[in-house]
Amino acid sequence: MNWQIHLPALVLAVPLLGAFASPVAGLGGRATRNAWMIFISVLTTAVCIMLWQKVIAGGTAVYVMGAEAWNITLPSGLSWPVRIILEVDAFSAFMAVVGSIAALAGAFFSLRFMDRFTGLEKFSALYFLLVTGMLGMQLTGDLFNFFVFLEIASVASFGLIAFWRDRPEAVEASFKYMVISTISAMFILIAVGFFYGRYNAVNIAAVARMLQMGYAEKIALVFLVVSLAMKCGAVPMHMWTPDAYAEAPAGVTCLLVAVSQASLYGLFRVCFSLYGASLGSTVVPWTIIVMGVLSMFIGVTMAVIQKEIKRLMAYHSVSQIGYILMALGVGLLALRDPQAMADYGFTAMKGGIFHIINYTMYKGLLFLTAGAVFYSAGSRNLNELGGLARVMPQTTFMFVIAAAAIAGLPPFNGFVSKLLIYQSTFAVYPLLAVAALVTSVLTLASFVKVFQTAFLGPAKKTYENVTEVPASMLLGMSLLTIVIIALTLFPGWTLSHLVEPAAKALVDQAGYISAVMGGGL
Amino acid sequence: MLDKVYSGFGYWDVFIWLLFFAISAALVLFVRSMGRNDYKEGTDQDEIFYGSNPVPEDGADMGVPAASAYWGFVEALKPYYNALIDIHSGIASDYVGYFVLTVAIVAVLVLL
Repeated sequence: MNWQIHLPALVLAVPLLGAFASPVAGLGGRATRNAWMIFISVLTTAVCIMLWQKVIAGGTAVYVMGAEAWNITLPSGLSWPVRIILEVDAFSAFMAVVGSIAALAGAFFSLRFMDRFTGLEKFSALYFLLVTGMLGMQLTGDLFNFFVFLEIASVASFGLIAFWRDRPEAVEASFKYMVISTISAMFILIAVGFFYGRYNAVNIAAVARMLQMGYAEKIALVFLVVSLAMKCGAVPMHMWTPDAYAEAPAGVTCLLVAVSQASLYGLFRVCFSLYGASLGSTVVPWTIIVMGVLSMFIGVTMAVIQKEIKRLMAYHSVSQIGYILMALGVGLLALRDPQAMADYGFTAMKGGIFHIINYTMYKGLLFLTAGAVFYSAGSRNLNELGGLARVMPQTTFMFVIAAAAIAGLPPFNGFVSKLLIYQSTFAVYPLLAVAALVTSVLTLASFVKVFQTAFLGPAKKTYENVTEVPASMLLGMSLLTIVIIALTLFPGWTLSHLVEPAAKALVDQAGYISAVMGGGL
Repeated sequence: MLDKVYSGFGYWDVFIWLLFFAISAALVLFVRSMGRNDYKEGTDQDEIFYGSNPVPEDGADMGVPAASAYWGFVEALKPYYNALIDIHSGIASDYVGYFVLTVAIVAVLVLL
């Protein structure tokens, strides 16, 4: 039997094993714990890449848990699926690869970054639970399972954000996130309940095939869209983001960036694959576009005035999510009009999906560089920092690359995805492109401020003993830097091999439904 | 070519940009090489000009702090920033309020 058929399950099983075996690995001491963390992270990334290759080569993969055979989605002659089904199309596989790379970089970085603290076996257990939750959200074909994985990721996030429990700010940030996250999760659960009540099914493909737009479906749509938009940090529900991102350990923040993308994945899976053409009016696409524009502008203007490096970067996360929401909102707007889809909708979707990988890589790297500054200089306050480029040249170099990429400076990867977004959104409504351009300028301005205040300037006596961070932390940052440079140098390859298949999978609602409802064989 | 991106409105080729960068860098280096080469390290030529004042020994006394960056921009947009900072109260019940309010507004828009 070909073992590769089990790849969807392995993607979840490997980090889950990593999580539960972490306390055992911790008994072997620091070296064993570190080796276990890296082994599981590398294996998870490898399995995700293999799954992506399998999906690109063979089309959507389905995996049925507990059936007589892994691929029988409609067992015993039933007309709808009853078991837990993982459904992995090119969009899911793409997201899994992006998330696993961020998790790997965060794991490398955390080895030494967290070394000064106790309870590290709990840290690695929570870290891998968060990875499992994130990947589960991206691979499941089932709405209730999506909720379960979302909760696994949320609970692990609460623990990791509050990991430095001697810091009241960390506990407060975690508490706030827990309150808002739990309430939004309840809204998601109610929405899933609506579907179960109406259609006696929670499988996305099964519900999508039967879906008829009524009041229950509209309310469920609102609950899902707004809750998932909150989870990815869209304005006006973004307030938890700067607190949580700033207080979590840097390696965790890198992973949280990828986890927010899993919520974004859920949002667009719901809009494109669950509702698709049934969305009817343009209210939801425009709601997403407006949330995107507000997120871009409010996020970046709040970032400009921040004096704490990680809070500044967290507000930029809000702003970057805005680009993706706006681009995929434009794609959603064009969904029912083939001409509009061909003219600008598909370009917007490609730009949005390309921005997902770009954003995860450069934002993850920026948070890691902020962590490196905190590790070496002991401060995150931009009013205090200065002259660090002299003593932390490698970190500075990687910060400059990430900052240039997020600001959309040519020739970096951020420029390419933003170019696609500018041009396609201009075709819908020129002011959208203007808002995106202004946001980009302000992004550059605030990162120039970080560069000037933290890295440039004369050497400060306070930091005369500061040295570059250890090799494993540099390795975590280098991994993301290499990916950014590769995306910069080969945008054409990235678009044709990674982004376009993902975008095509996302708009192909019929293909998503038939992979399960066709019986899976 | 693999590295060329067509947007439907134009195209982007990273290697053309890198070529442009390389040519620009060569020009800059050429202009630099035309400059004077009688600069002497360790003499008065080497001293920092600090408004005719003595240069502080600690760099902390010299730089512009982050709080002062973009002062004019922030001052010009003060009403906007005041409103924005008020919204970011840091109170958990406010976070929930904004979430519920957004659900209500989007629900009204979708249901109408």
